[in-house]
Amino acid sequence: MGKQFITGSLESSDCMVTLYETTTPVIEVDTIVHEAFHDHIVTLINDTLKAENMEHMSVRIQDKGALDYAIKARLLSAIEQYKDDSNG
Amino acid sequence: MKIHDSLDALLDALPLKDGLSISFHHHLRDGDRVINLVLNALKERNIKGMHLYASSIFPSYTAIKDLVISGHISDITTNYMNGPVAEYISENGLPGTLTMQSHGGRARAFEEGENKVDIAFIAAPASTKDGDVTGARGKNAFGSIGYAVSDALYANTKVVITDTIEKTLKPQIEGSHIDHLLKIDSIGDIARMASGTLKITKDPVGLKIARETIRFLDAVNAIKNGVSFQSGAGSVSLSITRMFNEYLKSKKLKGSFYSGGITGLHVNALKEGLVNDLYDVQCFDRAAAMSLLENPHHHFMSASDYANPHNPNRIIKDLDIVILGATEIDLDFNVNVTTDSYNTLIGGSGGHSDTAEDAKLSIIVSPLLRARTVLIKDRVNTITTKGTHVDVLVTERGIAVNPKRKDLINTLKNTTLNVMKIEELRQLAYNLTGTPAHKDHKLTPIGIVENRDGSRQDTLYKKE
Amino acid sequence: MARSYLFIPANEPRMLQNAYVFEADAIILDLEDSVAIEEKHEARFLAREFLRHHPRGSAKTYVRINTESDWLKQDLSMLEHVPIDGIVLPKLTLKMWNTYKKHAESIGVDTDIIGIVETPDAFFELDALGDKTPIKGLILGGEDLVSALKTTRSIEGRELLYPRSMVKMACARHGILAIDTPWTTLDETNLKTDIKHARTHGFDGKCAIHPNQVPLINEALSPSKESIDFARRVVEKHETTKSMRFSLDGQMIDKPVLARAKETLAKASRYGLLKEGLNENS
Repeated sequence: MGKQFITGSLESSDCMVTLYETTTPVIEVDTIVHEAFHDHIVTLINDTLKAENMEHMSVRIQDKGALDYAIKARLLSAIEQYKDDSNG
Repeated sequence: MKIHDSLDALLDALPLKDGLSISFHHHLRDGDRVINLVLNALKERNIKGMHLYASSIFPSYTAIKDLVISGHISDITTNYMNGPVAEYISENGLPGTLTMQSHGGRARAFEEGENKVDIAFIAAPASTKDGDVTGARGKNAFGSIGYAVSDALYANTKVVITDTIEKTLKPQIEGSHIDHLLKIDSIGDIARMASGTLKITKDPVGLKIARETIRFLDAVNAIKNGVSFQSGAGSVSLSITRMFNEYLKSKKLKGSFYSGGITGLHVNALKEGLVNDLYDVQCFDRAAAMSLLENPHHHFMSASDYANPHNPNRIIKDLDIVILGATEIDLDFNVNVTTDSYNTLIGGSGGHSDTAEDAKLSIIVSPLLRARTVLIKDRVNTITTKGTHVDVLVTERGIAVNPKRKDLINTLKNTTLNVMKIEELRQLAYNLTGTPAHKDHKLTPIGIVENRDGSRQDTLYKKE
Repeated sequence: MARSYLFIPANEPRMLQNAYVFEADAIILDLEDSVAIEEKHEARFLAREFLRHHPRGSAKTYVRINTESDWLKQDLSMLEHVPIDGIVLPKLTLKMWNTYKKHAESIGVDTDIIGIVETPDAFFELDALGDKTPIKGLILGGEDLVSALKTTRSIEGRELLYPRSMVKMACARHGILAIDTPWTTLDETNLKTDIKHARTHGFDGKCAIHPNQVPLINEALSPSKESIDFARRVVEKHETTKSMRFSLDGQMIDKPVLARAKETLAKASRYGLLKEGLNENS
């Protein structure tokens, strides 16, 4: 497993996102609103990775009921850290 | 009446048999010792298949879980449950049935012979040698013993377990009803009585809800001289009580009574002359317990005198305003305080369905959003209180009035308050969270929710 | 026109999404002092995504950016194409303004600015700031200022007497908003006194560092019920008599009084105080 890029927190309404490279990309969502939003969150993560050309990356998220804007922000921040790290 | 010098001696003298029905009150809340003590002793004697009538079940009553697992308890009738016992029952059900009643409904069911209890165990902070009992004296004084009166009047055999014998006292329950008396070292831990619920919130969202509630009451002119008021012990409720007191003070008004579960805030109002009387079925803190003992305008009342729907003199028939909580509310204003959305038992009516029905204005206060969970559903998971008895929902983001209250809607026509239909309030929430997905689940019944009058209101199911 | 300016740290989603709940007339999403250095990167994304996607309330929405040059540029890049009511620029001086202007023009950000004056340098440039920059308002940064003056904040407020006067004088001269420094404890009594100082100096608004401060600030900086009633009657009489000079309650009403009355009613309307039967100010 490559380097992990971790953003966010486990506070209520937040999420902790771990972005990392593996041979086969995988999305893991552990959320307190499983029935209501699990599948939606998976889609959100996939869409965001695709828009950023990051479909080769894996994401693990521990979610405490974060809204979409916060999940996206945490993921985008991790992606930018990864890009800075790759370029730096 | 017989006095015993040990728990064993007491149990030897009781008519114990399989299928026994027993009852307990919950006035020591999470600090009760008696219920675990007695249940464990009955388990030792291998009394099987019992029916437990506990007025509420708190997290520390772990013996209940043990006895359910071992088959010594098969049925439970209660008004509230939370904690490990509730979680276990949510996941596994009971060998028999779980029945949830309201405080008023429980009193009625005792009186009308539906709650048939063989032995009532009454933990009393103080008793005389004749079995005259009060909750207001003794080292573990909790104030009012209101929920135990039905048990003392209608069970077959009545047992008082106390830790303080006094020569004489003003009884809340007369010794003439009592059959057995046992003194033990300590009936519980009074310091844990007020665990958890009693802090006035500093949470800004809770304070916003409280302010909006007072603004609503002001906008509909609900707070007048002679007003009667009841609120719970949740943190938002306490803030509302504090602001309600301030409102009376600033407008130089005086209320007639506050009722229900009494806290130091309610006592302050009495002391400051903001209200004439307090009617107390349960004390939530020491300040309330002291006031009940000392203040002639602070009155003890039994659960029946409080909320029995068939008692024509019940106090809450004159209640103007009640403030209540919710875990869920639906588009018909039905309220759930019994389970979460996935069938975990997290509470129960207590006085919720009683006061919502009898009060002239029933207000539900709750955050609209709890993280990503929206309060408002198509249909509540469990109906604790029917929507026909609920008038208003106040949240931090908006207020919804039950359409049947055309009078309130009319009065609010020119308001600056954020009043909208409940469907619109839900959509406002969905605009923030997204629309939640829903899966149908196979449901296994484990019990029922009773109406105040004993008829079936809803079914309880196992957690998936 | 805002009574309360509530600071919301941009690195806490729970606070961000409740920002519009707390009844502040303006919110300031903070990327600067309330966000730890190691969290500024994530805070920027949270602020941007929140501003792009989360439904707005009726409050004005500002963002306080950093002044350190790399962070300032990153903050401005993040805010490009994101609609906001303005930027709050800390440590304002003419030099800081020029730095900001250069970067904002190159990145393509054009929005209102409210500046925080919090250094002795700034106080000798107040008039020039009002004259030579398009800033819409000044916030007095009392905490940093008293540190520079080697003194401390007090409830009596003498140490801020002259700074408050200077800021208000400059704002009055240039017709821009004067916003008072926050009081940094949650003690209600002391807060009320500090808000009174703001009111006495004629400040238009005051900052809040916690949502629980907002209702007190709103109440204290709202026109009183009496002044609203009087203003209403002044305007009504003006409309019926069609005169610019008349008497009301034994008082001579002329142009400045009429102008003040109209301003009071505009404020009352903006703050929702004009509805029949609602006693917001009692």
